[in-house]
Amino acid sequence: MERVYFDHAATTPTRPEVLQAMLPYYTEHWGNPSSLHLEGVAALEGVERARTHLATLLGADSDEIVFTGSGTEADNHALAGVAHALGDKGDHIITSAIEHHAIHDTVEHLGRVGVRATHLPVDEAGLVDPDAVRSAITDRTILVSVMHANNEMGTIEPIAEIGAVCRERGVLFHTDAVQTVGHVPIDVRRMNIDLLSLSAHKLYGPKGVGALFMRDGVTITSYVHGGGQESGRRASTENVAGIVGLGEAARLAGEEMEQETAHTSGLRDQIIGGILGAIPDVLLTGHPTQRLPNSASFCVAGIEGEALLLDLDQEGFAVSTGSACTSGVSEPSHVLLALGLPPDIARSSIRITVGRGNTAEEVDRLLEVFPRIVKRLRDMSAHRPALAERVPHD
Amino acid sequence: MTERAPECCLDLRGTPCPLNWVKTKLRLEEMEPGRRIEVIVDQGNPERNVPRSAKMEGHRIVHAISQNGAVRICIERAEESAP
Ligand SMILES: Cc1ncc(COP(=O)(O)O)c(C=O)c1O
Repeated sequence: MERVYFDHAATTPTRPEVLQAMLPYYTEHWGNPSSLHLEGVAALEGVERARTHLATLLGADSDEIVFTGSGTEADNHALAGVAHALGDKGDHIITSAIEHHAIHDTVEHLGRVGVRATHLPVDEAGLVDPDAVRSAITDRTILVSVMHANNEMGTIEPIAEIGAVCRERGVLFHTDAVQTVGHVPIDVRRMNIDLLSLSAHKLYGPKGVGALFMRDGVTITSYVHGGGQESGRRASTENVAGIVGLGEAARLAGEEMEQETAHTSGLRDQIIGGILGAIPDVLLTGHPTQRLPNSASFCVAGIEGEALLLDLDQEGFAVSTGSACTSGVSEPSHVLLALGLPPDIARSSIRITVGRGNTAEEVDRLLEVFPRIVKRLRDMSAHRPALAERVPHD
Repeated sequence: MTERAPECCLDLRGTPCPLNWVKTKLRLEEMEPGRRIEVIVDQGNPERNVPRSAKMEGHRIVHAISQNGAVRICIERAEESAP
């Protein structure tokens, strides 16, 4: 059976052009970028070219890019780095209730060393209110960290407004932009971003490589200690081929973003319209319009998201329930609970995230099987709530 | 002669070898052949290594002037694209 991959928020396939750009850094230019000889310089050139491409995509300066081992590491680095560097200035971090575990659990960990956190709530569309950020800032606040877009329900946060509040109050602003870099335009200057995390494998690059943008003038403590790589900001011999892949993925994304967004948002809207139109008691989670161009997410009342996922898998479709990192755990996702959904509704979540390789025919096929599977699963479960009465409204 | 004036200036003081050369090279790649760039590097190894690497890739050193503990090097991009 031909497989259809609809889980691009979990990871994306490595683009062939990206792999082609990476291969010479395994076969020919395998030198250590810290070496002074020609072999070292050839590797360093790859790393620096990638830095330039990524900086261009973000509207940053290349010296403001620090390559890391993943998006998770970039998140950890940003939070722990600020907490350590500004420990004598304050001990309070503001974040949101819908952050990825890479932020959420790091904040919790920092709590054990005395950092206090405010978790801002979101409205039923998943939006953080910039005025709530303003009200939560105290003279002990050292960092605000709010994600650019949520991986589970796709809502894009008003980070430019939040950035402006932080700049006005003199507080550092970090955003986890793992889901948006390469998919949604970002301008770190216009958005007043001080720190930004990203990950290559969400933009058709390789896994195990990410980056942290650090605005010029922001000095935070290193997270990985050792050699002087990345201008002393992140020790360890560079993942040269991975970094080259990230750079090439960023370059291509910058060139093709408009085209790709038109393609993916068309498929996304086809999915949203098709599912809401064909199945009763289905809720679109996240913001109806201010959402990732590639993401459609729903709660399908009366069934377990995981059962739906597994049945779709058998029919050839790869989708997700909640976050890829939390699936397998039957606890309802903290993100969906933060939207005000009852736990049983939150457990019925399904996420369909499209990519550049998907087609309208693939969506048609999904829309054929999806209602059939939902009906069968609902017939099997006796219980069938009237969704409309149970979810929050404005 | 205005077209011969350096197109941009790259301040690489404090940037170690060979990163100073790699940054120069990436900038040269964006320029038309025959155009010039001025880079400011530290005295010592950078002042020797940056011109040497530039020459190895066929670029021309127009001049190198010592000034306040640093060196201003004017490089003209090679006619042929660098190897
Ligand atoms: C919003 C968000 N942050 C962080 C991460 C972690 O990135 P990585 O897989 O590179 O560690 C992910 C990926 O699942 C994500 O979606």
